[in-house]
Amino acid sequence: MTKVSMKVNGKAVSRDVPDNTLLVDFLREQLRLTGTHVGCDTTQCGACVVHVNGKSIKSCTQLAVSLAGAEVTTIEGIANGADLHPMQVAFNDHHGLQCGFCTPGMIMTGIDMVNRYQAQGRELTEEAIRFELEGNICRCTGYHNIVKAIDAAAQQMSGMAKAAE
Amino acid sequence: MSTGIGARVKRKEDKRFTTGQGRYTDDVRVDNQAYAVFVRSPHAHAKITGIDKSEAEAMDGVIAVLDGHQLTGDGIGNLICGWAVSSKDGSPMNMGAWSALATDTARYVGDAVAVVIADSRQEARDAAEAVVVDYEELPVVVTSDKALESGAPQIHDNAAGNLCFDWEIGDEAAADKGLAEAAHVTQMRIVNNRLSPNPMEPRSAVAIYDSAEEHYTLYTTSQNPHVARLVLSAFYNVAPEHKLRVIAPDVGGGFGAKIYIYPEEITCLWASMKTGRSVKWTADRSEAFMTDAHGRDHITNARMGFDQNGKITGFKVDTLANLGAYMSLFSSATPTYLYATLLSGQYDIANIYGNVKGVYTNTVPVDAYRGAGRPEASFLVERMMETAAREMGMDPAELRRRNFIGSFPHQTPVIMTYDAGDFAGNLDMAQKAADVAGFPARRAEAAQRGKLRGLGYSCYIEACGIAPSAAVGSLGAGVGLWESAEVRVNPVGTIEILTGSHSHGQGHETTFSQIVAERFGLPIENVSIVHGDTDKVQFGMGTYGSRSGAVGMSAIVKAMDKVEAKVRKIAAHVLEASEDDIVIENGAVKVAGTDKQMLWHEVGLAAYTAHNLPAGMEPGLKETAFYDPVNFTFPAGCYIAEVEVDPETGVTKVVQFTAADDFGTIINPMIVEGQVHGGAAQGIGQAMLEGVVYDQDGQLLTGSYMDYCMPRADDVPFYTIEHNKTVCPGNPLGIKGCGEAGAIGTPPAIINAITDAIGNNDLQMPATPLKVWTALQAAAKPMAAE
Amino acid sequence: MDMTGEFRISAPRDVVWQALNSPDALRACIPGCEALEKTSDNGFSATVMQKIGPVKARFNGEVQLENINAPESYTIRGEGKGGVAGFAKGGADVRLAEDGGDTVLTYTVNAQIGGKLAALGSRLIESTSKKLAAKFFENFQTYITEGGAGRMS
Repeated sequence: MTKVSMKVNGKAVSRDVPDNTLLVDFLREQLRLTGTHVGCDTTQCGACVVHVNGKSIKSCTQLAVSLAGAEVTTIEGIANGADLHPMQVAFNDHHGLQCGFCTPGMIMTGIDMVNRYQAQGRELTEEAIRFELEGNICRCTGYHNIVKAIDAAAQQMSGMAKAAE
Repeated sequence: MSTGIGARVKRKEDKRFTTGQGRYTDDVRVDNQAYAVFVRSPHAHAKITGIDKSEAEAMDGVIAVLDGHQLTGDGIGNLICGWAVSSKDGSPMNMGAWSALATDTARYVGDAVAVVIADSRQEARDAAEAVVVDYEELPVVVTSDKALESGAPQIHDNAAGNLCFDWEIGDEAAADKGLAEAAHVTQMRIVNNRLSPNPMEPRSAVAIYDSAEEHYTLYTTSQNPHVARLVLSAFYNVAPEHKLRVIAPDVGGGFGAKIYIYPEEITCLWASMKTGRSVKWTADRSEAFMTDAHGRDHITNARMGFDQNGKITGFKVDTLANLGAYMSLFSSATPTYLYATLLSGQYDIANIYGNVKGVYTNTVPVDAYRGAGRPEASFLVERMMETAAREMGMDPAELRRRNFIGSFPHQTPVIMTYDAGDFAGNLDMAQKAADVAGFPARRAEAAQRGKLRGLGYSCYIEACGIAPSAAVGSLGAGVGLWESAEVRVNPVGTIEILTGSHSHGQGHETTFSQIVAERFGLPIENVSIVHGDTDKVQFGMGTYGSRSGAVGMSAIVKAMDKVEAKVRKIAAHVLEASEDDIVIENGAVKVAGTDKQMLWHEVGLAAYTAHNLPAGMEPGLKETAFYDPVNFTFPAGCYIAEVEVDPETGVTKVVQFTAADDFGTIINPMIVEGQVHGGAAQGIGQAMLEGVVYDQDGQLLTGSYMDYCMPRADDVPFYTIEHNKTVCPGNPLGIKGCGEAGAIGTPPAIINAITDAIGNNDLQMPATPLKVWTALQAAAKPMAAE
Repeated sequence: MDMTGEFRISAPRDVVWQALNSPDALRACIPGCEALEKTSDNGFSATVMQKIGPVKARFNGEVQLENINAPESYTIRGEGKGGVAGFAKGGADVRLAEDGGDTVLTYTVNAQIGGKLAALGSRLIESTSKKLAAKFFENFQTYITEGGAGRMS
């Protein structure tokens, strides 16, 4: 057992957990943040994507004890109170989800890719979105509306970034 | 903005999913919860000669280690197939015994042999490692053709030669005669590749036993919780129906795999009683690959004959269907009544004969996967048509046009009566949207870039809205396939719809609300949908076979009819008018031609206060309907795919995809398009990427996403979707259903396009780069020799 | 999975043969071997921890030496149960030829894995087996060079 302390969705949390506890189990079982899902056991499907220190990672392949002091953001932590994140809104606007199981991972991956491309000044084309989604599997939507949703959210987020300047 | 029929209403259910508040079975945590981990056979066929549980039982946190002898000793029944199919000689199918935990023999890799119940998942896993099972290996057979060979390993004692059934449909003599008279006969051997459904949420169960009430609750990943309860109760003897509540909360995709009641749910329920603990089990992905029912796996030899003018004269089909090691719940119906009844396709064919042999092998059971039998039929018919056109030097679209059924109703020689359709119209629409006229120029342009461009058609038809009860009953179904609905108008006028349909991605909470809001002129927010809980909804048959629209929504309409009749009576009484003059619009119940009206909620309140109701009327405003359709529905359409093949590598890209579907009435086009997108991606997956592989020892080699190739975002294009509309005469809304079309119509369009590009018709799915490249080399050879 | 290979050991054939029949040598040289005890003239019981792809498992099994033709050749056959992970079994025909002061060892291996191990790791069985074989012979050479005194990893 090791005491693990980190910041999750802005709140400091601390739990004694077995050393082999994965981040996804820490989130789901210790903190009961069940929006982060497990869809495979080989780091392929991306249903478990969360942000650690602002970067997306697959929480099924990360030990909780290795993240002492980290800032973790999950799907439960991206809305600003009642105001949903533009990526969440875009998935609803463009019907980017059906069963909803892959959706948290898709949204977290989507936000990360938009942030990275904007930080690097690169254009997030359709081709780039599809390429960036390599690590996220959806069985329902055929990806059509996920690509559209991320594209729309990217426009929205870029507008917000400019307005903030 | 309109929220009625035909409006692109954004989904009501999305908020909980986009904010991480969906509640799936593995998210459920209950008091006193323990965890189950199964010990599974690593051998495809083996006698179980002993189980040593002592080490595992002594480990930390272990509550119990249970085996098949204990399970059957407690009277838990064998798993059953719910659809009886007879062989052509009249004998019943040979159903092999399947115990939830194997007692004497394991018949596929993954067959459950024992279960460990422990305080934590990790402890259960560790203890499962320590259970020592002694196996005596038996010879193994994994393919249907090898299983039928003489001397093949025998899998069930009561199924000689591994034959479960030898079933036929149509008139063999007539088909032979039609083929004998043909000017041209196209002959093909077609393998429909074995697939794993792969809903993204793995199967899961939480079983809770209340010893005081002798009552069970089961949270489970089910497409049809009521059927689960019925089967668990009536056949598996887990608990009487009134002592068993089944809840399917948010379910993360189904695609058929979550129709069936599996050994794990049975075992968890029994183990919860046995241990006095709530028991949770969640599959990991490799367990899902090993135990979720697979789909397809047909080997077919077929001959189709044509006269001088390209009219089909006869069609004869011989199919081997791999059933796996045991018969899953609907596994007999999928390769027979859901497959061979559609061998007529969209074509007027007088003479058809089909023979299907259902065969046991040492593989996971095979059952319905999105489309279930209909993709196999469509793929066969549409590959035959395209190939025949090429062989006869005809335009493949023209060959289809010459054979299209043009008038309805149309009785095929294989049971089905098509009620409505516009097959030529679908083809026109698809050709226009896909700009088929511009294809030669696109092909030439691709050639300049060194790419081989090909175009392929698929004119699919399917039978959906699986029903009517009497008809399916006469064909062997063990259940009726109607649907139920209850419409509850509250005293304040808001409405709850209780439905036996189950949504696991289809968006019922939105679509079903739309038809209610439109009917009574209410805001869509005032309607909520209740489903997936046997304690709340009285009964229902669940969601599969594209039946929620055609059957489930029809039941809601029937219940709304009854509500409306009562509302009219109440309003006529209160407003002192004739019932015939009452109209309902914009949330008000009015007397036509006057300014007299009651607001909708005032009628609701009047019904519940009951101060002033017509004489003899019962208080309240709640109606129930059971709807049993008169026929299947027949969605049909035309898909056109264009691909580009890199001749150096065989790498193939779908560059254009057009679907023109006729789904009848569409409630929410946004959701319907989403269904086609997803089905098309699964179709592209089947055609180009996916395939379950067992080695000759029955070891599953595609046991994870590292080896089983799921379609990813960069494997698929944007899809162009068009809708034709011939109203279905069989149900009140005119709906045909849309859930499976994409998976049914897509594979033949893709393979027809690739074979067009490479100039070789001999190509099996999945058309991986290696297969495409090899077929291309084979096609190039004779040309080089010229 | 079938695999053949050849390995040159800088030691006379008799020494190599003895080591190949010694529980101490096998325990020291088999990668991941945690225990190996002689149970009969030609039989051993063994516990081996092994990782194939993403699956790590502890195999408990029996090892038999057959077709013994000292000091030239034998067949070594084993079967291990890895619990939930599945099983591994196989055999190797091993042949020793003298070449000057060295010994040339040739082997033909046939191996099978089952259960989760096959579902997740079959893609990697060949490369893993080659790696394990190379590791075994590397350990074996060291063992012989150091006169059996050193313990190998």
